[in-house]
Amino acid sequence: MLRNYIKIAWRNLIKNKAYTIINIGGLALGMAVTLIIGLWMQDELSYDNYFTNKDKIAQIYQSQTFNGQTGTGPAIPRPLEMALREGYDDNFKHIVMTSWNNDQYLKYKETSISRPGYYTQQETPQMLGLNILKGEKDGLREINSIMLSKSTADALFGSEDPIGKIVKVNSQYDMMVSGVYEDLPFNNSFKDAKFFMPWEKYITIQEWIINAADNWGNNSFQMFVQIADNTSMDKVTATIKDVKKDLNEDLVEFNPQLFLFPMKDWYLRGSFENGKQQGGRIKYVWLFGIIGAFVLLLACINFMNLSTARSEKRAKEVGIRKSIGSQRGQLINQFLSESFLVVLFAYLIGVLIVLLSLDGFNELSRKEIEFPWGSPVFWIVSVFFILFTALLAGSYPALYLSSFRPVEVLKGTFKAGKYSGTPRKILVVLQFTVSVAFIIGTVIVMQQINYAKNRPVGYDKEGLIQVPTMSQDFSGKYELMRAEFLASNAIVEMSSSSSPTTSIWSNRSGWDWDGKPEGFQEDFAWTAVSPEYAKSLNLKIIQGRDFSREFASDSNAVLINATAVKYMGIPNPVGMFFKDSDEEDPSSPLKIIGVVEDMIAQSPYEPVKQGMYAFDKYDNASYYNMRLNPKQSASQSIAVIERVFKEHFPNIPFQYDFVDEEYGAKFRSEVRVGRLSAIFTGLAILISCLGLFGLTSFVAEQRTKEIGVRKVLGASVFNVWNMLSKDFLKLVILSCFIAVPIAYYVMNGWLQEYPYRVIVEWWIFGLAMVGAMLVTVLTVSFQAIRAAKANPVDSLRTE
Amino acid sequence: MLLQLKNIFKWVNSGGQRVFLLKDINLDIEEGEFISVMGPSGSGKSTLLNVIGMLDNFDEGEYQFLDESVHALKEKKRANLYKEYIGFVFQSYHLLDDLTVKENLEMPLLYKKVKGSERKAMVADMLDRFNIVGKKDLFPSQLSGGQQQLVGVARALISNPKLILADEPTGNLNSQQSEEIMDLFKQLNEEGVTIIQVTHSEQNAAYGSRIINLLDGRMI
Repeated sequence: MLRNYIKIAWRNLIKNKAYTIINIGGLALGMAVTLIIGLWMQDELSYDNYFTNKDKIAQIYQSQTFNGQTGTGPAIPRPLEMALREGYDDNFKHIVMTSWNNDQYLKYKETSISRPGYYTQQETPQMLGLNILKGEKDGLREINSIMLSKSTADALFGSEDPIGKIVKVNSQYDMMVSGVYEDLPFNNSFKDAKFFMPWEKYITIQEWIINAADNWGNNSFQMFVQIADNTSMDKVTATIKDVKKDLNEDLVEFNPQLFLFPMKDWYLRGSFENGKQQGGRIKYVWLFGIIGAFVLLLACINFMNLSTARSEKRAKEVGIRKSIGSQRGQLINQFLSESFLVVLFAYLIGVLIVLLSLDGFNELSRKEIEFPWGSPVFWIVSVFFILFTALLAGSYPALYLSSFRPVEVLKGTFKAGKYSGTPRKILVVLQFTVSVAFIIGTVIVMQQINYAKNRPVGYDKEGLIQVPTMSQDFSGKYELMRAEFLASNAIVEMSSSSSPTTSIWSNRSGWDWDGKPEGFQEDFAWTAVSPEYAKSLNLKIIQGRDFSREFASDSNAVLINATAVKYMGIPNPVGMFFKDSDEEDPSSPLKIIGVVEDMIAQSPYEPVKQGMYAFDKYDNASYYNMRLNPKQSASQSIAVIERVFKEHFPNIPFQYDFVDEEYGAKFRSEVRVGRLSAIFTGLAILISCLGLFGLTSFVAEQRTKEIGVRKVLGASVFNVWNMLSKDFLKLVILSCFIAVPIAYYVMNGWLQEYPYRVIVEWWIFGLAMVGAMLVTVLTVSFQAIRAAKANPVDSLRTE
Repeated sequence: MLLQLKNIFKWVNSGGQRVFLLKDINLDIEEGEFISVMGPSGSGKSTLLNVIGMLDNFDEGEYQFLDESVHALKEKKRANLYKEYIGFVFQSYHLLDDLTVKENLEMPLLYKKVKGSERKAMVADMLDRFNIVGKKDLFPSQLSGGQQQLVGVARALISNPKLILADEPTGNLNSQQSEEIMDLFKQLNEEGVTIIQVTHSEQNAAYGSRIINLLDGRMI
């Protein structure tokens, strides 16, 4: 029987080629979108699945409250390690202290590279379950050892065996390669772990790290744990949450709360708002999931509409089958087999579309998704996907078509009733509601991105590069290097700073000033800068003066930003002092010499934070900021800079970033969402139009005789076109009115997440509506005009 | 007794008035009869046939078919009864355009869930008997009207029905083709199949053993 169904279905597909192409094409597009979104979601949801202990691994997080605002983050103080090891050891299987992920210079013979990696404790390779390819599993036992990822080892050693070789790190210390591990995959929180070195080494390198050993106030480190087998994240959190508070009376006012942030939440649920976990990327997983479902629905609606529109053609067949003994169930099965066949073809073409577009999609979404040929789960899911789609698209037509009564259809008097088109109309309205809502959503996302991009940044980011100088080699060389670079004529000004222009790496509290309100828990963004900072960035001084080399006292001077003035509540702070409130060891007070304009260093969607730019006394900066000479091309200047750089630091790879590009990176995630939703919107519209096109052609065909009669009676081409288009246009206009409030509501909710946001203007809705109507008219007109131009004699003769 | 109709009424409501399609029909049909239903257009001939064939419902009265009360049966039961015992032949043949002759013949057997090997044998048998083996792979549109109706009759016969209902089976055929089909009916009737045909033609009616005349839904 099934073979018979398939055979008939096949013949039907062959016979109505145009119908088949529209149907399969639309479904294939819809299924391709759903597949690709499915693969993307799977990739997102399987982040960190590389780790077999994923469910047991967590990072220690800390929430602290300043002035009623609770901030949450991974930075913890060093003494916490001993406190947990000594008092709470049985809660954990592993505890590892870890540095931040930083680029370090690695050198072997003449090969010098820069790679990101971690200093961490001995148990890390075991906890993460690193796949050791060569050398020791326990490779961080010796203080002077280094473990390299395969790619790092290849870059340094080529074909040589790296084990036992000496790598010079930051041209300072020699480390012996003890192991090589498989690179961690792309969708992994440790994807940037290109090497591991022992924590024990880290805590001997720099003064401030050594000093932090007993300092509960210096939150500059990370700690990862694997909990013991017999306990849960919640239990451990409940046990340790007050450890820091209990040991430090003076920190009680900030109410430090420790908790375990489980690995399975790191990537998707990593946002915290006022101390509470608040979504994160998971919202995009949902968003795209919904988009995928809707696009599939649109494609299925096409199938439903085209099938039921053709009902009069198939009515006779239903009648005959019933009269020779078919039961309704058997007819339903037959129609479902047909939709199954169509969906199967659509799926195959959909897979082809996915294969062809996967590279582009990966580029767009910054992913490394591969088509899961070898995954049995994928194929099982695919089977269900095909069945589900076939049911979704096929059940309504199957129920509808199988309900015809044989007596009526065989008598030849069968006419689909007055209301038989109503479900079809509702489905068209649904399609265009979704499409119009997508258009509006995409336009608003784009607008918000542009709005934030056009926000004044406060400084001149064009023609500015930053060069990382985090190695000890640079210490004390700033004046010399500045003179050299200026002399080379490649730059017109340069400065150094302790954070890159596009970020803030440290915050400082513990300041007093005259008129500071009692109990005010102050907190400032802190950047140590060379005197030319404002000049090199073209950052405007709006009160007081810039640093000057003329005044020796400027080594204890500070610039603050405009927000800081408001924050302190003092209208004219120039000339005032910031005093260190640490009573035992006060450093000298800092004099406010000027106020600079706010510059956006962090999120372009958030207000600028109150900030201090202090004179960098120790010449220990992380970046050089260079204003390129506008009289020559950037590439020329950079070549010169590199040459000068190499003369002085032959062991360090020359790296640089254009500040405007770094700033642009802040929009990456939004731009990505914007582009993807634009593409999906385009496809949704295309699919809807495909359906509309098919529907119009059937209506035109159905009404051939009517059109013939009307033309004989004197109707013009325009009259007929008008008659055919009007019906559809009405539906689309109705869709617009349904879509607008829904889109407004949803997009307004989305915008609330951005403190700096565009105001939704009404013309957007108008634009979307006009766009949708235009597309409708174009689609419908093609068929309508063809029908209208046909010679009436031909259509009337067919009777 | 094959079937019995008692006080059958069928009506539609049109413009607030009840229009009777069938009015108080009482009819007993024995196995082996060959009945012709006659009457002017709109007198209810086809409606009566559809009611007997269980394709159409009636509004009042009782219908016994082989000791089953059709009016009291559930849809599915009725379909089974019908599938088992009744075959239909239409004026405009109503073959399935997308299926070949062989496949058209096979269709009722598929719906009766007859097994594959048995099905093939029955189809081959029927092709043979109607002398259309050479046409088995042609589509209906490739056949003449008479040939199509031959296939139509073969399809009605293939599941060995007790009763064949024919709605103007020769209405679209020329006189020679008509004669062939009527001879075929006659022969089938002699083999024991009960036949009820609707016809306008006195000549065709003469093949039957009994004539029922209808006027405005009544038997006269």
